[in-house]
Amino acid sequence: MIKHSEAVDQKLFTASGIIKTFGINSVLKGIDLSLGEGEVLALIGGNGAGKSTLMKIIMGIYQPDQGSVSIAGEKMTVFKPSSSLARGIYMVPQEPLLFPNMTVEENVLIGLGEKPGILKKRLKETMAEINWKLDLGRKAMSLSIAEQQLVELLRGLMRQARVLILDEPTSALTFDEVESLFKIVEDLKKKGIGIIYITHRLTEVFQIATHVAIMRDGVITLNGKISEFTREMLVKGLLPDDCKEAERQEAEELDYTGLMPVFELKNFSGYGFWDISLKIYPGEVLGVAGVVGAGRTELAVTVFGKDKVLSGTAVLDGKDVTGLSTREILKVGINYVPEDRRLNGLFAISDVAANMTSALITGKSMGKLFVNRKAEYEITSRYVNDFRIKITGLDQSAGSLSGGNQQKIVIGRSLATGPRLVILDEPTRGIDAAARKDVYGIIHKLKKLGVAVMLISSDMEEIVELSDRAVVVYQGRIRGELKKQEITQSGLMAASFGVGEGKQVEG
Amino acid sequence: MKKFLKNREINSFLFLTVLIFLVGLINQSFWKPETIINCFNDSVVFTFLSAGIAFVILTGEIDVSIGAVLGLSSAVGATLLRDGYGIGAAVSAAILVGALVGLVNGIGVAVLNIPSLIFTLGVNGVVRGIIYVYTKGAWVENLPADFTIFSNRFLAGNVTYFYGAALVIIVIGHLILTKTRKGKYFVAVGDNAAGATLVGIPADKTRIMAYVLCGVFASMAGIIYASRIGFITPTAGSGYEMKAIAACVLGGLSLTGGIGSLAGAAIGAVIMSSISRILVFLGFSSDYDNTITGFLLLTIVVINTTVQNRGALKNRHEILAAKTAGKGGQKA
Repeated sequence: MIKHSEAVDQKLFTASGIIKTFGINSVLKGIDLSLGEGEVLALIGGNGAGKSTLMKIIMGIYQPDQGSVSIAGEKMTVFKPSSSLARGIYMVPQEPLLFPNMTVEENVLIGLGEKPGILKKRLKETMAEINWKLDLGRKAMSLSIAEQQLVELLRGLMRQARVLILDEPTSALTFDEVESLFKIVEDLKKKGIGIIYITHRLTEVFQIATHVAIMRDGVITLNGKISEFTREMLVKGLLPDDCKEAERQEAEELDYTGLMPVFELKNFSGYGFWDISLKIYPGEVLGVAGVVGAGRTELAVTVFGKDKVLSGTAVLDGKDVTGLSTREILKVGINYVPEDRRLNGLFAISDVAANMTSALITGKSMGKLFVNRKAEYEITSRYVNDFRIKITGLDQSAGSLSGGNQQKIVIGRSLATGPRLVILDEPTRGIDAAARKDVYGIIHKLKKLGVAVMLISSDMEEIVELSDRAVVVYQGRIRGELKKQEITQSGLMAASFGVGEGKQVEG
Repeated sequence: MKKFLKNREINSFLFLTVLIFLVGLINQSFWKPETIINCFNDSVVFTFLSAGIAFVILTGEIDVSIGAVLGLSSAVGATLLRDGYGIGAAVSAAILVGALVGLVNGIGVAVLNIPSLIFTLGVNGVVRGIIYVYTKGAWVENLPADFTIFSNRFLAGNVTYFYGAALVIIVIGHLILTKTRKGKYFVAVGDNAAGATLVGIPADKTRIMAYVLCGVFASMAGIIYASRIGFITPTAGSGYEMKAIAACVLGGLSLTGGIGSLAGAAIGAVIMSSISRILVFLGFSSDYDNTITGFLLLTIVVINTTVQNRGALKNRHEILAAKTAGKGGQKA
């Protein structure tokens, strides 16, 4: 093989054979990626694909276990944020990290070593170059997200950045703001700056990128010039290789005749989602697909009474439950199992029994004044056996259990209240295959009991396997509703990334 | 004018002016220039303490060991003076004590990542214990006259040398914090620690530095305390940390970090120490002192925090709302 040394020299940045493992969890399994002058590389991938880990290595926050990163042909030996910055790499995080109490000028110039006079002149020149006007004396906290991003970009430019990493820059921008951001990106491209553009929106990729790379499970599955790809090819790259669409569970289809919905949302709007209408029937699993940040968790949390409803109604068993407090929502029979168990769902230090019955503690069934330890143990033993939760005893602290067993406890707890609707938010994220099977078993049991289940998941395979119907949420709105036989991984994936209507893209 | 009123230091200064004016309405002898200047002179110990802890508060942390640091450094300085060492040696030893305790605090908070309230509370106990062991529980008395007389030397008019020195140090410190590159790191770390790291600011080092400066300022306060009082008890300075924190808050510093200045802390210190004088002028017992201090602290902190929480929630809602707004082209 002849090495194209010239071509390598022109690259602003090259990563080769990057491997990174956290404990037993291998996140990056040999990543090769490069970026040339004036290129915009769109980096796409689902949750947990390893994008942010890779970016953290480039930014010098993590050190790779194996492999090397070269910037402008020079190999990086130390991985520290300051040395990456010095080599001209700047990352604009998804939610800008400005100093809210400082002015725009202070925010841009902080940490730069030159004389203030020179810096101010350079700042004015840079702003003139990208044709951007903003009062430098404004406090950062008064800026919109779009303006904050521009301040971040200015920071990068003032540090003579040659490689800019934009992490989902449009996720919180309005339509017009996206347009003006794209103009700026075009200008930067012309200046020869390389941009790594992380996004969940395939439509943007074709608008702005020159190159595209797709990451899945710590490997790059697809990489090349944008002109060589179509949307369908990108969607395919996001799906697992062994994705066999036909292999759907032969479970009996739900008979909807004569069924009345348990729960219904009518034009339900809140912070992060808009105009959501859906119905869930008893004994039905409604899959809610989409990417992280699409607004699904916000929807669930708002139904659960933790945030304000802006408009629309939520109806449970014909009763209006819009805007009730979490306490009241629990009482009427809606339960929410959050995504982050440790943060929201589990009392890690308390024992298994206390966790299992904690949702009942406000009622009287657990004793009026003192907690009835016997009742607590009875209920817990039942679920522990039913759900095959592996514990050493009912008094084991919940925090010492594996993720899968923790999840079973949190779901089990919601069952103990005899709910009408259970909302599960990413129920199998980060748990092993065996535990996953058990959790699926619990979901089937819920169905049999006639409980309505709203299953929020970014794992398309999971949605396909479990759902009786599915909706896809994209940018806070429902994009496509699919009947059981219409649900396919590629259809869900395409709609989640904003391509077509869920129904139209098959296979 | 609006911008002028938004300045937190100016607000605190106006508060002080109004306070003096109102008290003067009730007891006119308070309006005498000597009385007002004495309010400033008397605040000198708190001015040093508040300025020192201001560095820590600006980075978003807290230090409740400064009262004990004041006690230990003044005890160390005073015993050296009593035993015939020169003022230079005594001052250096006291400052070394302050710097050391500050370094320990800084490492505990910045490197070991222990919540600052807990860590400095522990250090407070340890240092207070050391004072008892070091002094064997006895008062340090019989300080040389040429040391104690210093607190009554006047620079110009009624302004003492000590307060003059405090003013100079405050001005220099204020300028360093607001004008120099590294000085701005303190505010930056308190404003947004994650963001600071991302632009290459050494957040841990900055925090350690803040604690060391805080310790040094507390020990300078200790020396002045020794000169003014003339003897040191083992409980010297206990409870002063609450007053110094209250002074900072009165001076416009935010306890969540990132907002405020040394000038503000100095103004707050004057307000703080004037309160006991005012109580006397109004004919109240100075027993109310702590209650009033604590009440003021709570009032301001409750207001600040409520405003900040509302702002944070509003921000989050705006971000989420932007995600779904204006997508006309994409939704039929």
